[in-house]
Amino acid sequence: MCPPEHFGVLYEINPWMHREVSVDLDRAREQWGGLVATLVEAGASVELMEPQPDLPDLVFTANAGTVNNGRYVPSRFRHPYRQPEVDHDVAWFRANGFEVTPLPEAVAHEGAGDALPFRNVFLSGYRSRSDAAAHGPLSALLGVPVRPIELVDERLYHLDLTFCPLDDRRALVAPKAWDRYGRTVVEALVPEPFVLEDDEVLAFCANSVVVGTTIVMAACPPRVGRQLEAWGFDVAVAGIGEFLKAGGGCRCLTLALDVAIPAAATPPPSWGTAAAR
Amino acid sequence: MRAAEVVEVEGHIIDSLILAKVLDVIVDAGADYRMVDVQIGRTNVDASRVRLEITAEDEDALGALLAELQIHGANRVADVDAVTETADVDGVLPEGFYSTTNLPTQVRMWGHWVDVDNPEMDCALVVRPDGRVRTVPMHRVRIGDPVVVGRAGVRVQALERPRGANPFEFMNSDVSSEKPKEQLVARVAGRIKAAKATGGKVLAVCGPAVIHTGAGPAVADLVRAGVIDVLFAGNGFATHDIESNVLGTSLGVPLGDGLPPEGGHSNHLRVINEVRRRVSIAGAVADGYITGGVMFECVQHNVPFVLGGSVRDDGPLPDVYTDVVEAADAMRALLPGVAVALMLASTLHAIATGNVLPAGVETYCVDINQAVVTKLADRGSHQALGIVTDVGLFVSTLAHHLLP
Repeated sequence: MCPPEHFGVLYEINPWMHREVSVDLDRAREQWGGLVATLVEAGASVELMEPQPDLPDLVFTANAGTVNNGRYVPSRFRHPYRQPEVDHDVAWFRANGFEVTPLPEAVAHEGAGDALPFRNVFLSGYRSRSDAAAHGPLSALLGVPVRPIELVDERLYHLDLTFCPLDDRRALVAPKAWDRYGRTVVEALVPEPFVLEDDEVLAFCANSVVVGTTIVMAACPPRVGRQLEAWGFDVAVAGIGEFLKAGGGCRCLTLALDVAIPAAATPPPSWGTAAAR
Repeated sequence: MRAAEVVEVEGHIIDSLILAKVLDVIVDAGADYRMVDVQIGRTNVDASRVRLEITAEDEDALGALLAELQIHGANRVADVDAVTETADVDGVLPEGFYSTTNLPTQVRMWGHWVDVDNPEMDCALVVRPDGRVRTVPMHRVRIGDPVVVGRAGVRVQALERPRGANPFEFMNSDVSSEKPKEQLVARVAGRIKAAKATGGKVLAVCGPAVIHTGAGPAVADLVRAGVIDVLFAGNGFATHDIESNVLGTSLGVPLGDGLPPEGGHSNHLRVINEVRRRVSIAGAVADGYITGGVMFECVQHNVPFVLGGSVRDDGPLPDVYTDVVEAADAMRALLPGVAVALMLASTLHAIATGNVLPAGVETYCVDINQAVVTKLADRGSHQALGIVTDVGLFVSTLAHHLLP
């Protein structure tokens, strides 16, 4: 995670951001501290990176890149505002012993904001911030199959606003945010999805952090809470209202470093092998 | 003006339904696609890769579609110019030469796609000094010829299969003896008329069985009436055609009553001998020795023919090419303008012709033996439509449809 010392809404790159809305930085610091405490209480250990001036969104570490098995694939941001974040992210991962493997320059991909592991694959959102063409190279770098899902609602610009894996069988899902192919793919992959209502989605329910059996959420509407409890999860609400002004929820403020999907994927065969004709 | 482009999409495109979506997007846009190259991963953890050739109504429609496809990860394959290497020995191609198909082919030179002049299978592509690209058989390549090597910068177009209205759709590719013949012959006649109406030429490739089955006079009528414009055959066909007209027998058997006379087996040798005495078939026609038949009509109406020789030939007739390379070259020289090819009861000449024909030529292969028809397709002439029937009946019915 990255402390919100320089957080603010300084530009508008998603429908939630409005520069005329001012961020209360003290409140943001307080909320962020509360989130860290909630996560630690749930059993997580939190690593920090240095905040940097003029990079207000560095606080949203979910977009630093994609991690699997000690390997780190840095993001390639679509918007120039966020591109300077990458050098700081890469420096942190190098310093902390991760293997850094960059994507090809031509493709955009915004890391764990758009790539979420479920069972033995990653689902990867595309259209708004990440390119569909990134999924092939990403798969080769992570060693895991990556299935791209088209995001069709511009308010839900990252996959992590629409999909929250809870365990091997369950996930919170917002199928209206996906096209019909994406819905079919998730339906086939997730045995027990819980479909969020529109207002639940827009309350950033899917942008929750899962620590063991604790779900850390920005808000927990009763219907969602009942289902999570019925499934045996504990819900912890962490108010992060200041960050919602920038279109980010709990999960956006964190990046899971312990993702370990067994490597299995093979890169696509090149042309000209025996099968090619 | 239809526009085409090749795009590539790779990754876990099957399980993520990306491939299905890309194909749907193309079809929904009113465009068409062809899978150029497909590599599907063996299991669901293996990535796949597919190359599609997309054809749209015009450049604008194509541009809009390509922009939409790019969103879903299907990107234009970077075009590169074809690579050439100079031939350093006469009649020998550089290693790695591009081996042609009989399909319409384009080569990218200096950033532009150039149509290959004369598609022919199993040849090389040579770039001419004027920038045109021709297929050249191995033996014809000369020192210094720039020969295309590798597959980069070369693309082959599948023939468009017309949807719906094609009269032959109901029997696409299938060879069968169970098809209604009369209807089929009427349709072949219709196709010939259509080709002639647009200035296309008709090529007939004849085997000796055409004469043995009594179809000679009908073929001669078709030549005389200007339906057949080019004739390919061998020593046997021409010999039996002349024998039947000079002596009334085919391989010694009278075409009238079918009872073999004493010494009839030497009839064809005597005929060949007499034609050789007159230097050429045309000489024998001029001399009045040959007074009718297919070869007679060819000479009379300036219908060009190529008689390709074989090791088994008696004689042969003086017009027969005894050098196979020269024979193939002579056949090639007569192909421009040919729109329809009729392969009539001929195995070896049909295959030889199939080898030099572009895939765009409508080809009808008529034989009593289904294997001949299948063989032609197996050798790469996929455009050939097989009609399994007696060639005598086929030709007389065809003549009935085409002649007044």
